[in-house]
Amino acid sequence: MEIIIQQLLNAAQLGAVYALIALGYTMVYGILRMINFAHGDIFMVGAFIGFLLATTVNMPLVLMMPLTMLLTAFVGIAIERVAYRKLRDANRMSLVITALGVGIFLENFVRMVVGPQTRQIPAQLPDKILTFGSGLVVTEDKLLIILISLALMTILWLFTNKTLMGTAMRAVADNADVIPLMGINLNRVIAVTFAIGSALAAAGGIFYGQAYSIDPYMGIDLGWKAFIAAVIGGIGSIEGAVLGSFMLAGVEVFTVAYLSSNLKNGIAFGLLILLLLIWPSGIMGKPMIKKV
Amino acid sequence: MKLLEINQLAVSYGSIKALHGIDLELNKGEIVSLLGANGAGKSTTLRAISRMLPITSGDILYNGTSLIKCPAHDVVARGIAHVPEGRGIFPSLTVLENLKLATWTTQKSNLANLYSSVFDLFPRLAERKAQLAGTLSGGEQQMLAVGRAIMTDCQLVLLDEPSMGLSPRLCKEVFQALQEINKQGKTILLVEQNANMALKIAHRGYVLENGRIVLTGSAEELIRDPRVKEAYLGTHKHALGANTGN
Ligand SMILES: Nc1ncnc2c1ncn2[C@@H]1O[C@H](COP(=O)(O)OP(=O)(O)OP(=O)(O)O)[C@@H](O)[C@H]1O
Ligand SMILES: [Mg+2]
Repeated sequence: MEIIIQQLLNAAQLGAVYALIALGYTMVYGILRMINFAHGDIFMVGAFIGFLLATTVNMPLVLMMPLTMLLTAFVGIAIERVAYRKLRDANRMSLVITALGVGIFLENFVRMVVGPQTRQIPAQLPDKILTFGSGLVVTEDKLLIILISLALMTILWLFTNKTLMGTAMRAVADNADVIPLMGINLNRVIAVTFAIGSALAAAGGIFYGQAYSIDPYMGIDLGWKAFIAAVIGGIGSIEGAVLGSFMLAGVEVFTVAYLSSNLKNGIAFGLLILLLLIWPSGIMGKPMIKKV
Repeated sequence: MKLLEINQLAVSYGSIKALHGIDLELNKGEIVSLLGANGAGKSTTLRAISRMLPITSGDILYNGTSLIKCPAHDVVARGIAHVPEGRGIFPSLTVLENLKLATWTTQKSNLANLYSSVFDLFPRLAERKAQLAGTLSGGEQQMLAVGRAIMTDCQLVLLDEPSMGLSPRLCKEVFQALQEINKQGKTILLVEQNANMALKIAHRGYVLENGRIVLTGSAEELIRDPRVKEAYLGTHKHALGANTGN
């Protein structure tokens, strides 16, 4: 029993990181109908900004995390402004290819600046070992990662559902052409969306770098996983991205624990195919009635 | 007093010229109808005014200042609301959220008054506040679209074929609401193919044909004009354009 709870917590930690990345995919897709394939690399950039702040100026986590999120938000805004805005009305394929190019640029840029080695963000979260009941052992940092991630997701949910800017973001997904007629600057809404998605990915990057390790190519694998999670959940849906992320992490963690770590990816991708056969637009996705 | 003044406005889509230098004016407090067959350039005119389209030449003055350099989202802040063709509501947002979004540039102290004027005008919307806008009937969606225009606290409303797809009874309801809004002080530029309905509530009108104004006058003059009768009031079976409604 304790072992299962332990594995569930492992899955929750990994799922939280997936979710923090998947939200950016789903939000950008929601407003631009575009898969931002550079997003996994934005996650990586966030991890390295955090790493640099923590190692060069010894910034404490309570400062380093918000500052990293802010700086990564600006990276996201800059990418949209420089690489995507001009292509907004172009063929989707041009946008996708541009996004792949931006991703490759980010990987090589980071590799040039910090080198290709694997690093770890110095652990700063309290990591006392807590024992519950009859031998359930949990480290504090794992719980904190899960709790802070859930808090960030709750804030995002409140933002998109309760504020005027959040409502505007959902409205862009519905009918972007009408947004200016409401007196709203469409470019600003899109910039805010990229900023939030990138900031959340940066938070995921910091957590990942504390719990596991970071390198310039980490965004490829993690980005794909988070993308899959967003698709399983129903891309465009915020709740779906979170649900898909925890499901995918659960499948992976339990496959590794009870079957074999070699099967991890095979089972994850198999699950994607199976679920999409049942729900072609993802579990919480809306069937596509609109043009793509 | 002139509220809107359009001088020699020309608009093209690529190499296709949609407007060939039109002149049009609106005085404060008027309802002016812009009539014309399919493809005449009516929607193009409205989209040019609300700065959704680039202008080739000419000028648009609102309250004496040019809108040429104004981005679309600032036009709303200046007091012009545009209810687009096909209504342009946000289907996956609720009725209330649709209205709320239109208050982006509105002074917050006016909000309570604006909501109550929308709900007084359209009690059906008040009953359906929490309903998703996409599940509203066509008539209710049109009411919502007009309601959003009111929420922007505008002086001028541009309406693109509000009668489209509505039953005669709902159509009447919407047009009565437009008259009521006009009485409350808003100026209205009403694009319609349904010339009959439009000229009943309008003070003046313009007739647009192939991107040119071919006729203008008071509503009574236009109703009596044989060319309008023939082309837009359906007394002649094979009139100039397709204009039997929708
Ligand atoms: N996006 C566009 N690209 C190219 N041409 C366009 C575009 N939109 C409109 N046009 C052309 O401009 C002309 C005027 O179109 P507009 O939509 O203004 O007509 P309208 O009077 O509103 O017609 P309707 O009553 O059918 O709505 C038409 O010939 C149309 O084909
Ligand atoms: Mg039109």
